Amino acid sequence: MAPTLEVISKPCGHPEWEEPFVVNMGPQHPSTHGVLRLYLELDGENIVKCDPRIGYLHRGLEKLSENMTYTQAMVLTDRLDYISSAANNVGYCLAVEKLLGLEVPRRARLLRTIVCEMARISSHLLWLATHALDIGAMTVFLYCFRDREWLLDIYEKICGARLTVSYPRIGGVRLDFTTEIIEDLYQFTEEFPSRITDYETLIDVNRIWLKRTKGIAVISAEKAVNLGLTGPSLRGSGVPYDVRKYKPYDAYEEVEFEVPVGKSGDTYDRYRVRMEEMRQANRIIRQCLDKLSETQGEPVVAEGAPDLLMPEKRKKPQAVPHPKKGFLVKGAEVPVVPEGEVYVSIEAPKGELGYYVVSDGSGKPWRVRVRAPSFVHISAIPELIKGHMVADLIAVIGTLDVVLGECDR
Amino acid sequence: MGVFKTLFLTEIAKGLALTLRKLFSPPVTVQYPEERKPVAPGFRGRHALVRDPETGKDRCIGCLRCAKVCPSRCIYIETERDPETKRKVVTKYEIEALRCVYCGYCEEVCPVNAIVLTEFYEYIGYSREELYFDKERLLKNWDEFIITQKRPYFNPYWKPRGVPEKMLPAPKRKAEGV
Repeated sequence: MAPTLEVISKPCGHPEWEEPFVVNMGPQHPSTHGVLRLYLELDGENIVKCDPRIGYLHRGLEKLSENMTYTQAMVLTDRLDYISSAANNVGYCLAVEKLLGLEVPRRARLLRTIVCEMARISSHLLWLATHALDIGAMTVFLYCFRDREWLLDIYEKICGARLTVSYPRIGGVRLDFTTEIIEDLYQFTEEFPSRITDYETLIDVNRIWLKRTKGIAVISAEKAVNLGLTGPSLRGSGVPYDVRKYKPYDAYEEVEFEVPVGKSGDTYDRYRVRMEEMRQANRIIRQCLDKLSETQGEPVVAEGAPDLLMPEKRKKPQAVPHPKKGFLVKGAEVPVVPEGEVYVSIEAPKGELGYYVVSDGSGKPWRVRVRAPSFVHISAIPELIKGHMVADLIAVIGTLDVVLGECDR
Repeated sequence: MGVFKTLFLTEIAKGLALTLRKLFSPPVTVQYPEERKPVAPGFRGRHALVRDPETGKDRCIGCLRCAKVCPSRCIYIETERDPETKRKVVTKYEIEALRCVYCGYCEEVCPVNAIVLTEFYEYIGYSREELYFDKERLLKNWDEFIITQKRPYFNPYWKPRGVPEKMLPAPKRKAEGV
């Protein structure tokens, strides 16, 4: 027999009224950054139990990509973490390139690194804007959006789209930069550090900000590792794990940058880590721009890169001339993408973004699985919120920097 | 925090000084309907079929490459053979703009540069049918767009910068502006 719901028969105000007060937060709550629903059990203003319910933004991207060719499926990855779509595209392309065994030209690698770091800055700016707005700093929100607009304008010049860029392609990138874009980026990298100083002037030592962030959602290094946190959320606890350093991809080997880490692992430390990351990203863009002049005029697509229009099924083998029958098509069919499975992870702005792609030899992926940082981070909310109040929940959601498009996929 | 800082709210004063400074800097807001930001060349906006200035018709040869590469499968093409000249004639070319994801793959694979995503982005419709572009509508889109442009117009995706020439189909290599 199916379990039935227990009906609370005791009236409110009864001395034996002990049931917890249940509150639904979201999915339309403005500070859940999308459609996250939290099921809260409260004792006064203290949270007794927090239970995230996800799936409101599920579009079945993994399954959809099984019915598309590899190039078509790349467009879907734009919609994972829609704030930093360039980083998602790069991760997917790296996975397919590993399957194909392609060597990406140096210029394309530099260009990819630049757009990845631009995505990081733009994502962190949006994070800072919304996080500050949730906690109560309106001015920072406006300043961050002003600067993010600048980056989006550069994206528009690079590839013709502001948000869903689809800029990389399997084996390189789709377009080269023009001199105008390079000048714009130079100007941006020149001015941006002073903008970060502006935000810090507003909130870094502001007593309201400190009271809302210091000592909130403290997580020890060991616990953070066990929960599977990655990215700035993990580095805030003092673990210097960064995929860009441990398994360098693209052009991260040839650029110099530091991995900022926090000490105490509270919300304030994670904020500091992200601010420092923006400075480092700015530095990486600058170094890549300097190196671009060395590779002037090189192609941006690898030699054996597949055409955008990939065949859906295995290709027929090459026709061999035959003395009597003219031409003969014989032998095993040639796979479009070699059979096998591959896992590639990159350091996306939110954390470690992994792609697991299985190929059966045809032009369509047999399976694509996305290891999304937001999904793991949402599972850590109940752990982080222990012993805090409802108002701190806003800070916790903000500090983990979750995007539901990536979590629900 | 020292006693002085606590008493005199120095950090608040610093923040207010910054916002006061910004008050006198030029505004960054664009008053949208009155003023518009310039659109970057190659912006992926409303679809159009290029009207060939010589023949006055579209350039499409009905190779179906755009329909095959489209991730959202929103391009419908029908072709038939002309019994006299034995040439392929495109009888139907339709784009369902509401399904399009604006990735720009179609204009990149088109061997004759017949289709283009124009830099025009302000288009609306009261019903689905209004955003279901047929061939005449697509040619009209082009006419509306090209009068706002400097001639010859050349879209960056027609011949992507930095892509080696041997990867492009032959007509794309010697592509010229319209």
